[in-house]
Amino acid sequence: MEIRLLRTESFRLTAIFAVLFVGATLILSGVLYAIVDSAFKSEIILNARQDLAAVKKGYDAEGIGEATEVVNQRLARPTTSDFLLLQNAAGQRVAGNLPAVTPVIGTVRLPVPTARKDDHGAEHRILGRGQFIAPGVYAFAGQNLAVLKATEHKALRAIGWTLAAALIFAVAGGIALSRGFLRRMDTMTQTCQAIMAGRLSDRIPEPGTQDELARLASTINAMLDRISTLMENVRQISTDIAHDLRTPLTRLRHRLELVSAEATTVEEYGVAVDRVIADTDGILSIFSALLRIGQIEAGAARASFRQVDLDKVVKSLADIYGPVAEDRKHVLAIPVIEPAKVLGDRELLSQMLVNLIENAIAHTPDRTRITIDLRMTEAGASMRIADNGPGIPAGEREKVFRRFYRLEQGRSTPGSGLGLSLVAAITQIHGATIELTDNAPGLCATIAFPKCR
Amino acid sequence: MKILLIEDDDDTAQYVAKGLRQSGHAVERVRDGNDGLALAKDNAHDIIILDRMLPGMDGLSLAKQLRESGSQTPILFLTTMGGVGDRVEGLEAGGDDYLVKPFALAELIARVNSLTRRSQRTGAEQQTTLRVGDLEMDLIARTVSRHGRLIELQPQEFKLLEYLVRHEGRVVTRTMLIENVWELHFDPQTNIVESHMSRLRTKVDKDFSIQLIQTIRGTGYILRGN
Ligand SMILES: Nc1ncnc2c1ncn2[C@@H]1O[C@H](COP(=O)(O)OP(=O)(O)OP(=O)(O)O)[C@@H](O)[C@H]1O
Ligand SMILES: [Mg+2]
Repeated sequence: MEIRLLRTESFRLTAIFAVLFVGATLILSGVLYAIVDSAFKSEIILNARQDLAAVKKGYDAEGIGEATEVVNQRLARPTTSDFLLLQNAAGQRVAGNLPAVTPVIGTVRLPVPTARKDDHGAEHRILGRGQFIAPGVYAFAGQNLAVLKATEHKALRAIGWTLAAALIFAVAGGIALSRGFLRRMDTMTQTCQAIMAGRLSDRIPEPGTQDELARLASTINAMLDRISTLMENVRQISTDIAHDLRTPLTRLRHRLELVSAEATTVEEYGVAVDRVIADTDGILSIFSALLRIGQIEAGAARASFRQVDLDKVVKSLADIYGPVAEDRKHVLAIPVIEPAKVLGDRELLSQMLVNLIENAIAHTPDRTRITIDLRMTEAGASMRIADNGPGIPAGEREKVFRRFYRLEQGRSTPGSGLGLSLVAAITQIHGATIELTDNAPGLCATIAFPKCR
Repeated sequence: MKILLIEDDDDTAQYVAKGLRQSGHAVERVRDGNDGLALAKDNAHDIIILDRMLPGMDGLSLAKQLRESGSQTPILFLTTMGGVGDRVEGLEAGGDDYLVKPFALAELIARVNSLTRRSQRTGAEQQTTLRVGDLEMDLIARTVSRHGRLIELQPQEFKLLEYLVRHEGRVVTRTMLIENVWELHFDPQTNIVESHMSRLRTKVDKDFSIQLIQTIRGTGYILRGN
């Protein structure tokens, strides 16, 4: 047997229970033994008293002859004491089935006259009572203890066997349990090792039971699923980044190629270089947006959160963006701005709003109406940025939060598709939720902040 | 102007030093934070350009120690650390301006010029009226007039004009305006500067022969009295 089997928790538990069970059984048997033993013995003494009383009654009534008669009668009956003795004042036996003894009063133990030893080599003894029924006339009544002893031996043997059986069951059960436990642990370990070795899709088999190992297995599996989704996301993101950076880099390369082929004057070179610098700045700003999203998602900014007057932020941004919207013949209105405090980072909250406002300006046709509402509700601050532009189709409303995701019709407007990803990261770090809905027509973004204590 | 450049990256240092020298500044450059602090404590420079990640001693501690030693030399942080909170950290450590790499040389030079002038201007912070040419700004009544004629400005326009006036004769970049006038510390996608500037110019310059605000192509704006 493997040593580690004995070290398992289930085996240890079984062993402890086995020991406790044996101990309890021993105590119980001991108590039972004592009770039965003493009950049996008092029964013997009680019988002896009755027999002696009958003998005395006979003697008192009609003398030694009658007493002898009573002794003989009683010996013939099965229910009374099985050993009786009646001796006269001279110390000689008058009646009974015992040899004469030196008279002793009270509870007495006498050897069995046949002197047969029992199986265990112990001498049989008679337990009984001695008494003078008249001056000098001694009587004894008692029973052989062999019956009791034999019963007790049987009982003890039965208890012994039961205990042995229980112990065997306990050990066997413990081993079986531990085996099962170990086997399941081993599959878990092996699965984990397989995953570490690269078989990422492996999962721990779930037996469908409700025990703690099954729960552990399903928890581990759920964790693995979560990790693999995250890894899939990361993989997706890096593929996207590579893909989406290729476009501006390709454009940059084309431009440089054209310059080197066609530019002849210093002025032409100058113009081309300026454009290349602008392109490069575009690429760099994609990088810094990506870094910023990553940094916000990491959550470190939470450490510097403080109370921000969101209403002031909204008002000042509306002031700043009013003219910008106007230049596009849009209208930017803030019909309802209730005072609202939010725990957060002012800079990030501004950026979130700016991205949403700029989307409403950039992805809509002229003369669009943009409204920002801020209300304090029971649940916390709730902000709505709505426009009456073309909106986003229901099927795309989740996808636009992905990095680089842009709608087909939005491709002509400048942008990199990172604005809403940043918004999502910022709402998330603030414990807020963002929901895009149909403004019929247009888009409505609702951001619900948690209550700020 | 004498500029102390504390920067460990050789390429950046070369690029920065060359640009600054071309615009008429003297540049002394050190690589190591400890050397930088020792030099800065001599108070022989008009401005310090400081990287954040440096061998020897990081830029933040350097700035803190320099300020503790009583030096008032303006510090411009020039760093790749542009995360949320990094700028605030830099300013709290004693920095006067914070520019994140990558940056345009014109941007750096505009900021350096802005800082050197600021350090020269002493005790002038309490002015209640600003004057440039025939333009007058009353900072208490928040009114603007040109040639005695009152000009109505929106609060945002007033703030913008005040910034330009305070930087009279010096180039202010778009980013400087976005950061200092509107207090946004990221790059907006839309032309907020252009939108506000065109409104301001219509009000301030349109009816006058002398145009106070001029565009510096590709960089920003400048306000001049004549
Ligand atoms: N208010 C809106 N109305 C209609 N479509 C919108 C609106 N806001 C966003 N979209 C769509 O969602 C897409 C993703 O928006 P997001 O802000 O993430 O990127 P972007 O605006 O294209 O680029 P960036 O914000 O990085 O400059 C947009 O390209 C546009 O197609
Ligand atoms: Mg956007």
